[in-house]
Amino acid sequence: MRAAVQALSLLLFTVLFALANYRLPNWLPADIYLRLDPLLGLSAIVAGRVWVPRAVWGLVLLVATVFVGRFFCSYVCPLGAILDFLDPPLFRRVKRRPLRSDATLRSVKYVVLVLFVAAAAVGSSLVYLLDPISLLTRTYTFALLPPFVGLVNLLLDAVRPVAEAMRWMRLATLSYAQPVFYMSLITFLIFAGIVALGRLSPRFWCRYLCPLGALLSLVSPLGRLRRTVGPECPACGACQDACPMGAALEEGGTRVAECIQCRTCVAVCPEELITFPAAPQLLPAGGSSRPDLTRRGFLYSVAGGVGLGFVVEQSPFTPLQNKAQLIRPPGALPEGEFLTTCIRCSECMKSCLTNTLQPSLWEGGLAGLWTPKLDLRFAACEQECNVCGKVCPTQAIRSLDLEEKTHAKLGTAVLRKEMCLVWAQDKLCLICDEICPYDAIVFRTIEGYRRPFVVASRCNGCGYCELRCPVEGESAIVVAPIGQIRLQTGSYVAEAKRLQLDFKPNPGDDQFILKSEGLRVAPEGHEEGGPQAKPPTPPGTPRSEGATKRPKGFLP
Amino acid sequence: MSDSFRGMTRRDLLKGAAAGLALGLPHPAGAAEPDLVVISGDPGMATRKAVEALGGMSRFVQKGNRVVLKPNMSFASGPERASNTHPAVVVAVAQMCLEAGADQVMVVDNPLQSAELCLRRAGVAEACKGLKNTYVQMFTDHKFYREIKVPQGKVLDRVEVLKEVLDSQVLISLPQAKSHSNTGVSMGVKGLMGLIWDRWSFHSKYNINQALADLATVLRPALTILDATRALTTGGPGGPGEIAKPNLVIAGTDPIAVDSYGVTVAPWYGQQFKGRQVEHLLAASQRGLGKIDVDRLNILRATA
Repeated sequence: MRAAVQALSLLLFTVLFALANYRLPNWLPADIYLRLDPLLGLSAIVAGRVWVPRAVWGLVLLVATVFVGRFFCSYVCPLGAILDFLDPPLFRRVKRRPLRSDATLRSVKYVVLVLFVAAAAVGSSLVYLLDPISLLTRTYTFALLPPFVGLVNLLLDAVRPVAEAMRWMRLATLSYAQPVFYMSLITFLIFAGIVALGRLSPRFWCRYLCPLGALLSLVSPLGRLRRTVGPECPACGACQDACPMGAALEEGGTRVAECIQCRTCVAVCPEELITFPAAPQLLPAGGSSRPDLTRRGFLYSVAGGVGLGFVVEQSPFTPLQNKAQLIRPPGALPEGEFLTTCIRCSECMKSCLTNTLQPSLWEGGLAGLWTPKLDLRFAACEQECNVCGKVCPTQAIRSLDLEEKTHAKLGTAVLRKEMCLVWAQDKLCLICDEICPYDAIVFRTIEGYRRPFVVASRCNGCGYCELRCPVEGESAIVVAPIGQIRLQTGSYVAEAKRLQLDFKPNPGDDQFILKSEGLRVAPEGHEEGGPQAKPPTPPGTPRSEGATKRPKGFLP
Repeated sequence: MSDSFRGMTRRDLLKGAAAGLALGLPHPAGAAEPDLVVISGDPGMATRKAVEALGGMSRFVQKGNRVVLKPNMSFASGPERASNTHPAVVVAVAQMCLEAGADQVMVVDNPLQSAELCLRRAGVAEACKGLKNTYVQMFTDHKFYREIKVPQGKVLDRVEVLKEVLDSQVLISLPQAKSHSNTGVSMGVKGLMGLIWDRWSFHSKYNINQALADLATVLRPALTILDATRALTTGGPGGPGEIAKPNLVIAGTDPIAVDSYGVTVAPWYGQQFKGRQVEHLLAASQRGLGKIDVDRLNILRATA
């Protein structure tokens, strides 16, 4: 039963992950697992000193845990499910003895939790490092999705000749865009390490390291469902050996905080003495229900967290935050708030339509690890897509409608004339103008050549010019964060208006209405040209134009 | 045999003429088929009429043929922006191909923006949904292209072309009439750049006008239907820009003639030009790929 619920939950997690793409309907919270995680919301609120409405969902899980107990870990947590499912195939043959340092290790997760909360209190967001939901989503995006798509494409390539021969054209032309990410390997290694730790003890991660488990175990002893062992217990030790959490004690005792209600003990008890009866009211936390953290351990963790927080925070990167070269996603909060509320779940990067959103390594300092940035030489920000904010569980990237998002200026394109084919080599090239969706590139005749310029007030930094610039190597037109608009609250459209910016991705009439002003067929039928063909230059255009005024591509 | 009748058998010619006569189209005296057909009206109906006036689709598509249609749909915008071919034009042509017995109609492009978005926003995929054996597909992976030689190339000696084009029997070009910041206008000849893999080298490595003429020597559409129902007269090829409404569909077998006429139907960047003044069209006509002086052509005009 439990395995079925776990499998369902893992499936739901995976399906929601898959659905996080630009077509995501507004009503569907693809990031719901991340929202339900109270640790992520708590850390974002504490570290960022901002209110995160979506974090309210975390209360659902907290309240459920208060009433039921720590069922999340054994039934819902997708990482727990993966660890459970991988355990038999990987470690069936391994004889695992109880770890001698079990008691010390058990306290590690509390140390981790206190450490992260303390770090958040000094304004440094670190919880993403070990939060299971963030970590697993990240693993999905960076380590599992790319090889998965690669594999699917290999299979499609393998059947392509057959499909072509059979004229199954849909299949013959099917191929998926391959997502690629920086930091895939490191993300995978962390995940693989967590799985490998299972060799030492089942659910090693959940038992000793998981800070979310630690948080839930602070309230779970209040839960109504509690493991109860009949008084006839012969103390055979079967449940002790089988319990993946080390929660079953000799002679029917239970470490309530550790118990995840998986009921493995119920199944193995030869006397069938173990039950999980529902208590009529909230149970008082019993003697063996206190978290395994000494006062000293607690103080050390607080000190450690504060210290770590300072190390992360107090580096030249922090004062330089607003001068960094990073281009952040449209709608990203001001850099300081962004870094502290971003939980590095990678939902934005996964769902990004063009794959331009990439994790940062050191570009933003320790505080910026895995935060999303745009790699515009690699891909541009698509003006018809606003999914990154939609799926952001902490709203470090604000969810904006397309109109607002268009006005969330990312930066401004800067021409590097010494590299530009037109400026440096007098070549014919106007790709930046051709591709610009906002008509922000204009040409002026300089020294007899029409040369490109950027109109900063029309450029919203989407990066199509940087992407398509045909210069080899680095682009000759690069989006810099100059003029980026980062608002914590309020309208981007209003802000852009105030700054007299004008982004027009979709001008003119939205409906295509034919003005029936077409060709009039003369009765004789040999009038040349359309109605506009008569005057050599339309009225209003100066006739005495020099060669320099002629648009490009035309001859005299 | 004149250039404009390339690829036609005598039998087809007669059939076409018969069809034209049956429709009662006002043929100029002494010619079986006009060099160019210019039809004014609703995009879909004008397209249908234009093809009928040229002798019907069976002149170009035989039973069992695989047909490739190349509209402009490489920008994620609808017909109101005039950077993509009107979906109604594409649907009309696809239908006529199927009516002529085509085995398969593949509508293709290599987009400049996200393929998925272009497919959705250009409206062509949606419009072609009900059609049998018709596929609308963007090809953004290198594996779908194959290198061919360009024997008559001046600047281009080889080019990687969409395999689907090389493996099918008929290519029909369905360009949108629009301005182009680099080549003046972008119509049929320029539109063929959407069938090759490496379009960027055209801008950076080669003289684009010569490269386009080179490309036109190897990619030779049997029919070009220029959608000038709207014309993006500035800000091309992607827009936004000013949009004129010439309300015309221009069709012919000679891609240079079609483009050349298309140049005259709207003012580009506020100025009136002739086909001869468009560098890549002139270069292509000088290679003998088509006629550029449209005033010497036999043109049929009608309203749909």
